[in-house]
Amino acid sequence: MDLAIKLIVFLPLVAAAIAGLFCRVIGARPAQVVTCAALLIAAALSVFVFVKIGFGTEKLFVVKLFSWIDSGTLDISWALRVDTLTAVMLIVVTGVSSMVHIYSIGYMEEDPSIPRFMAYLSLFTFFMLMLVTADNLVQLFFGWEGVGLASYLLIGFWYDKPSANAAAMKAFIVNRVGDFGFALGIFAVWMLSGSVGFEEIFGKAPQMAQMRIQFLGMDLPALETACLLLFVGAMGKSAQLGLHTWLPDAMEGPTPVSALIHAATMVTAGVFMVCRLSPLFELAPTASMVVTLVGAATAFFAATVGLTQFDIKRVVAYSTCSQLGYMFFACGVGGYSAAMFHLTTHAFFKALLFLGSGSVIHCLHHEQDMRLMGGVREKAPQTFILMWVGTLALSGIGIPFILGNGLGFAGFYSKDIMLEAAFGVHTTVGMIAFWLGVIAAFMTAFYSTRLMFMTFYGKYRGDHHTWDHAHESPIVMMIPLYVLGIGAAFSGLVGYDWFVGHDWKAFWGNSLAVKATEEVLHHAHEVPLWVKLLPLVLALSGIALSYYYYVVRTDLPDRTIKAFPRLHALFYNKWYFDELYDAVFVKPSLALGRFFWKKGDAATIDGLGPDNVAARAQDMAGMLMRFQSGYLYHYAFVMLVGVAGLVTYFMLSAR
Amino acid sequence: MIVGLENWALARPELFLAAATALLLIYGVVRGEIATAFVSVATAVALLVTAALLFLPYREGTAFASLFIADRLTATMKALVLVGSAVAILMSRAYFEQAKAWRFEYPLVVALATLGMMLMISANDLMALYVGLELQSLALYVIAAFQRDSVRSTEAGVKYFVLGSVASGMLLFGSSLIYGFCGGTAFVQISGALADGRSAEIGVIIGLVFVVAGLAFKVSAVPFHMWTPDVYEGAPTPVTALFAVAPKIAAMSLLVSVLMGPFKPLFAQWQQIIVVASVFSMALGAFAALRQQNIKRLMAYSSIGNVGYVLLGVASGTEKGIQAVVFYLAIYMVMTLGVFATILMMKRRNIMVEEVSDLAGLARSQPMMAFGMLIFMFSLAGIPPLAGFWGKLYIFMAAVEAKLFVPAGLGVLASVVASYYYLRIVKVMYFDEPAEAIDRPSFGVNRVVALVAAFLIAIFSLVPQPLSLIAEAAAKGLFQ
Amino acid sequence: MEALLREYLPILIFLGLAFGLVCAMLGGSYLIARQNPNSEKLSPFECGFAPFDDARGQFDVRFYLVAILFIIFDLEVAFLFPWAVALGDIGLFGFWSMMLFLGVLTVGFIYEWRKGALEWE
Repeated sequence: MDLAIKLIVFLPLVAAAIAGLFCRVIGARPAQVVTCAALLIAAALSVFVFVKIGFGTEKLFVVKLFSWIDSGTLDISWALRVDTLTAVMLIVVTGVSSMVHIYSIGYMEEDPSIPRFMAYLSLFTFFMLMLVTADNLVQLFFGWEGVGLASYLLIGFWYDKPSANAAAMKAFIVNRVGDFGFALGIFAVWMLSGSVGFEEIFGKAPQMAQMRIQFLGMDLPALETACLLLFVGAMGKSAQLGLHTWLPDAMEGPTPVSALIHAATMVTAGVFMVCRLSPLFELAPTASMVVTLVGAATAFFAATVGLTQFDIKRVVAYSTCSQLGYMFFACGVGGYSAAMFHLTTHAFFKALLFLGSGSVIHCLHHEQDMRLMGGVREKAPQTFILMWVGTLALSGIGIPFILGNGLGFAGFYSKDIMLEAAFGVHTTVGMIAFWLGVIAAFMTAFYSTRLMFMTFYGKYRGDHHTWDHAHESPIVMMIPLYVLGIGAAFSGLVGYDWFVGHDWKAFWGNSLAVKATEEVLHHAHEVPLWVKLLPLVLALSGIALSYYYYVVRTDLPDRTIKAFPRLHALFYNKWYFDELYDAVFVKPSLALGRFFWKKGDAATIDGLGPDNVAARAQDMAGMLMRFQSGYLYHYAFVMLVGVAGLVTYFMLSAR
Repeated sequence: MIVGLENWALARPELFLAAATALLLIYGVVRGEIATAFVSVATAVALLVTAALLFLPYREGTAFASLFIADRLTATMKALVLVGSAVAILMSRAYFEQAKAWRFEYPLVVALATLGMMLMISANDLMALYVGLELQSLALYVIAAFQRDSVRSTEAGVKYFVLGSVASGMLLFGSSLIYGFCGGTAFVQISGALADGRSAEIGVIIGLVFVVAGLAFKVSAVPFHMWTPDVYEGAPTPVTALFAVAPKIAAMSLLVSVLMGPFKPLFAQWQQIIVVASVFSMALGAFAALRQQNIKRLMAYSSIGNVGYVLLGVASGTEKGIQAVVFYLAIYMVMTLGVFATILMMKRRNIMVEEVSDLAGLARSQPMMAFGMLIFMFSLAGIPPLAGFWGKLYIFMAAVEAKLFVPAGLGVLASVVASYYYLRIVKVMYFDEPAEAIDRPSFGVNRVVALVAAFLIAIFSLVPQPLSLIAEAAAKGLFQ
Repeated sequence: MEALLREYLPILIFLGLAFGLVCAMLGGSYLIARQNPNSEKLSPFECGFAPFDDARGQFDVRFYLVAILFIIFDLEVAFLFPWAVALGDIGLFGFWSMMLFLGVLTVGFIYEWRKGALEWE
């Protein structure tokens, strides 16, 4: 078991090292083989580990590797902690990652730097596995920063594109804000509990809830503050409202990257972190309230923006943002298992949607604008069907009341249970989250089917040359789509009982906050019937409206825009967040930077320091060169002056 | 035994060299110009044999009524001078053939100059000192102007001659003052008289100033350095190589033996002179070279700067200091010969070039040559772990131990400034666009010299201990 | 002081004699001989060129060559006289010293001879 865990985590690292360091020697094909093989083995082992932990009696494995930092009271080890929560993440990460690896063989086949790409992907997977298997906050932070780095490298993979570089920098910098909060949170936890290991922290959680921190004359409840700080980190990584601006831009990266990092795994790290720390958040009601509100607001906000976008990947990106919001408000109300459930199903259907979009993009020769698509189902029928699976899963479509829990696509189960959890807690915040979530569910169904209709239905609107060369993706890209399609279709049905149904206790063990989960799940199953049906009804009506708008009456969208120009502009321009940040943060920092550079560094430090000294040295050299006149009598004169000077000095000093 | 000739065998190397030079002169003049190649090689061999004779067997003591002294220090210094001169002779052929001045007199005059240097180094009396110095100087004046049909060469010769005469005059004037106040010219007599309490007399000190001025001219220390750039630039390049090495070492050795011998009681006074000369030399060597374009002129300033460092070791007046001096001079010799061998290889379309800009892009056209030059320049700049760094380190350590904190600090600053122009050469070689490639150097002495020098630098860099032990033994010779 | 000055008395006498002799010879010639100068007679005799002339004027370097070669052997002779007088006292050391000196000069002589420095053309 220990060996299996170690292999899962370190095989991708080894593969990344081989592909990355020896890429010039071994070439593209071996690099693909090595990384894919490593990931497939890791995925297989993950299934084994998942079964063993999820359905076994032993719920926690800790594999100690070696001591990392041992300084004073700070004692940090490298250790792999695997409980059900981690095992779920292992399945998600290695599963999606291995599919993306295989998919990339087809998608990236014309790229000149395949080994580098594969190495980055594997490296990312390693960091992500490090993150989910962390045994303490510092190791978690290591993985956290590692995935940030890999994300940066992959967004900027096409480094000759300025927009890709800008997006990579944006992702990295925005994440710094979140990471700063996260780091402060870790410091706070260490200050309060004297430890960074999860076991010790959770043990001291009740005491920490009683403590208070004095900061700048403010008297703050300690645990709430720490949890809020940690949540800032989660907001950055999971692109929650305020720190979400990097995610849509991150679509500059290759599509497999978007599927793996910016849909299925890395962006869910924030949700994972909150669930991992659920024993703390459970004791911090105010912080949880903030989590709920931010999550709900994000779910709503991102859905509104998604309604208006034309870039196929951006639509999916905003959808991701929105779904992450769902997960957070589920966490906030205490439905950690519901959040994890949605995280898992979402990983499958969102990766499917991204890879499907990638397939469309591949098919249409790297065209991403939906206005220039249409009718693609003729050219890519398999992709078309699989995209429908993903779309229906995202919209949460299913048939209730049969087979006990109903029969539907993955999102049908996971989204509903989150909304029910929010409604079930019967708090104001919960109600806000519920209603925002329900409206967002309507919009989700609308924009995701809008994507389908604009892409696959109607007439092709791009140029004919592209159309003539359009083709279904190769088999190597289709296999992952099928695998993910199966996941998107059935993961909800299969997982419902274990994740949130009556077997949840046997499944999760102690890896989530038990008390809160129990309460929330109990209430969630008790909600009125209309609450259970409302999301489905709204989703169906969203699909119907979308069909009407984009298939039946294609003139309606433009008329709607004309009717509500202000609202459309607001949505279309993403609520002006980028413009706001640009004016408030980016421009002033650039101005400040330029001031320090030009005035502070160049003019003051360089001007008076190195440059000035160098200039004076050159002046000195010029002066000395003038002395060297070439005239003998000058030279003799200097000699005599020297002797005379020395003699005079000794005459005077002798007296 | 004839009276006055006891211990004549101490001077065996000198006698051998003199005899060899005379014989080769006759041979050369009888055979004519065709003998040039043979005379050149034979002279170099004779110089190396002389160096071997110093140690096979090694003897020490005084001879010729105490006019002549031989000990570890003199033997080491002579060996350096002899090797330097021999290499300089071997390096000269290609240049002089090009310049149509390939005459058999050149190696012989160098040999005579070397003989003079050996006598200087072994001088134990002001008279012997002067005779040795003049033998050396006269020979050097001649070879500075050796390329008779070149205006620059003759100008260099004349300048060197006139200013050298002024310096000789000063030296003689100082000597006569010292003779007058101390009642003798032998070093023993002088130190005896000074130890008797005449050190306070201002006349002696003025005499000392003049003597030191005369010697400072020979080592080109500030303010007696003015001839150096002009002569280095004007003289034929092989001659410049010789000037940068052999006379410097000889005169420095003489300076050491004069200051540490007869004038030891005036340590407090001469230390001030030497410190001032040292600091100004270091500074001038660093600053004046910043804007030099001619690489020979640049090396002239570099040599002034290096003399400054050596003088700092002298100024410390301790055994450690002298050890550092010997160590530094040995490394300096190797570096300088390497640099000049490289300069002598710089030809474009078979014409000698000597501007820094001519080196542009050398790393691409002649990577080996550029790499050798890089080693020399890094070493001269004193970048660890190269030999030049160890040399400077020993000097500064000795100076600090002698409580010369301010001069040592200034020296470090000067070496920072100086590293600019050394590194500039590296930059030009490696990063500038080549105007026109330098010719591929033909296989010859210069290439071997450059290679060996680079190799030696590498050896000294990695294992400086053997050289440092030799220097230590030499320094002990002075303090027995 | 007295003793020191007395040591230099012979030199003073020598100076006086030299001065007196020169004065006597020049004065005698001035008084006794017939004065009939012309430009040829007033021009410099034998070796060379006008004493008061432009410094950049050309002259024949061979005069100097001969003069310098002459001086070497002139000095040799100047050394030989006192050496010969003192030979009895300085013994073999003195004898061989001079032989060595002459040998060195001979080497130089051979050199200048073979080089053709002694031939006017």
